[in-house]
Amino acid sequence: MVIKVKNLVKRYDELVALDHFNLEVREGEIFGLLGPNGSGKTTAINCILSLLKYDKGTIEIYDKPMTPDAYDIKRKIGVIMQNVAVFDELNVYENIDYFCGMYVEDKRQRKQFVEEAIEFVGLEDYKKFYPKKLSGGLLRRLNIACGIAHKPQLIILDEPTVAVDPQSRNRILEGILKLNKQGATIVYTSHYMEEVEQICTRIAIMDKGKIIAIGSKEELKSMINSGEKITVEAFNLDNNILEGTKKLKNIMQVEYKDNLLILKSSRGKDNLVAVLEYLKANNVTIGKVYSEPPTLNDVFLEITGKELRD
Amino acid sequence: MFWHIYKYRLKCFIRDKENIFWTFLFPLILATLFNMALSNISSAESFKEIKIAIVENKKYEDYSDFNNAITAAALGNDGSNSKKLFNISYVSKEEGEKLLENNKIEGYIYFDEKINLVVKESGIYESIIKSFLDDFQQSRSTIVNIITINQNSMSQNLIESVSTRENFIKKFSLGKGEPNIVVQFFYALIGMTCLYGGLWGIKEVDALQANQSPQGARLNTTPTHKLKMFMSSVVAATTVQLIGLFLLLAYLNLVLKISFGDATVYVLVTSVISTITGITYGTCIGSLISKGVGLKIGIFIGATMLMSFLSGMMNYKVKYVIHNKVPILAYLNPANLITDSFYSLYYYDSYYKFYLNIGLLGVFILVFGSVTYFVIRRQKYASL
Repeated sequence: MVIKVKNLVKRYDELVALDHFNLEVREGEIFGLLGPNGSGKTTAINCILSLLKYDKGTIEIYDKPMTPDAYDIKRKIGVIMQNVAVFDELNVYENIDYFCGMYVEDKRQRKQFVEEAIEFVGLEDYKKFYPKKLSGGLLRRLNIACGIAHKPQLIILDEPTVAVDPQSRNRILEGILKLNKQGATIVYTSHYMEEVEQICTRIAIMDKGKIIAIGSKEELKSMINSGEKITVEAFNLDNNILEGTKKLKNIMQVEYKDNLLILKSSRGKDNLVAVLEYLKANNVTIGKVYSEPPTLNDVFLEITGKELRD
Repeated sequence: MFWHIYKYRLKCFIRDKENIFWTFLFPLILATLFNMALSNISSAESFKEIKIAIVENKKYEDYSDFNNAITAAALGNDGSNSKKLFNISYVSKEEGEKLLENNKIEGYIYFDEKINLVVKESGIYESIIKSFLDDFQQSRSTIVNIITINQNSMSQNLIESVSTRENFIKKFSLGKGEPNIVVQFFYALIGMTCLYGGLWGIKEVDALQANQSPQGARLNTTPTHKLKMFMSSVVAATTVQLIGLFLLLAYLNLVLKISFGDATVYVLVTSVISTITGITYGTCIGSLISKGVGLKIGIFIGATMLMSFLSGMMNYKVKYVIHNKVPILAYLNPANLITDSFYSLYYYDSYYKFYLNIGLLGVFILVFGSVTYFVIRRQKYASL
């Protein structure tokens, strides 16, 4: 086991930031920690990294207790903080070299590592640039390079794509997949469910300092009763027909607005076919039809009663 | 690892334009302004010979003894002409009037039944001329009285004993340098500059603590001991601050001609110790105050200016008031200890005072450094 957290409790006065938080991260996986802002993701990461004091619980990394002076463990970890942590007075190359030098003393090896990190994040043309001259996306890439240059076995990324343009975001996500393919175990926190769905092999959903669900995205979606969301462009639909759709098998919720009929179904087979057959039988003119499987937001919504984006 | 951190911290410091201004340029600007303002104090203290005129008329010829007395005064105590009291020109009354009108002389003397002094205004030079004339007339009257009473008493010895002024007080310097209030202003400025090194210290502590900066948070996740990072950073800060201080010392000594005595090694030792005091003072403030860096710098600059004020940077009399009324405050003020260390090298023959000041600065370094380390060595934070 790469990370093992048991019954972690962290309080800020009256506020319980982590409430008997448990976590296990396995070697080689991309583990996603998903939750709304303030759910305790960053607090959990800071406790795991031994930056924050906690009230109760145990943390082990690579089967050893994690402490501030566990240097042999720290040597294996790369951290990409939520806030960009670079020095404004050092250029791109120097920043990466400075932080890499905290892990790698051999100058020649370090030089090679720094060059590889620059290439990995695509900052070859910006080596001599100072952070203030970089765009938000490039700055985030520099932040990542500083955390991975020493080739860590475990990489912890805390919301690395906040305020990043789509191009840089895709590049960052592709980079994370590449690092994982190269053998690194990844812990990725985010409140963007699409990102987590896109790259994570296992996902834990957090709320109010607790993990409320954990598993692969398929496993998470299978935990809930919600099925697909069907959207039909339907013309000349009267109230009787609309009421009739509500009585169809597995249909939980119906909405009709601007010629769009939106139906949320529970899990079950042939829901779409049943809806279309009913509309056709009632001579409803049908335009475009969409069917979307449930999302992690649906999982969060069904478990907590609120939107993930709240 | 030590040198790796040192190299990059040094780069960070050198590229920090704001701090470079406060620690390098600001003291140079202040020294230049001090020099412009204080050069008048020096010139006010220097004495120039007093230009007077004597009206040559028939009556003057009757005062041959006055001629002897004023000629002797004009030649100065040692008769070498190097410390002349008067610069005399002999003129007619009209010429004297004209010279006075044009401010070419401080006054002119003319003779009728008595000796008359004509001046344009009252001032220190006019008072000196008048004092000289009063003294002459008093001596002259004394001799005339004695001779009138007893004509046998007239002798050369009598005249000499009446006219001779013996000075029983001799001014000499306690140490090797001349007492000089001007240098104290500059030494206080050096004290302030050394303490300004604390700005680097504040920045260092900020960059090392996870609860103060994102960089600190990242550094705390690395497998490098906090003490090692702290020590390399302090050495880097000391290097930069020493460069700034040596620039200031060179400017003061070579351009503004401010003396530091002749003990160069001791000046260097004082510079290093004072610089480390300043930097650890900054790290101490930086570690004790956990709020924003702006607040830290505000408190730091306020405290430094107060210490510099108490060490006599704005008014040298403050220093002596503190020394006489609250001497303990003088020993608890690093700015004052630095100022005194430089002054004792310049002024005293003995190194006792110097060693005492340096020893006390050493104690401050230990206290500031220990407080800093005990705060920043904290391994986990309650909140970030």
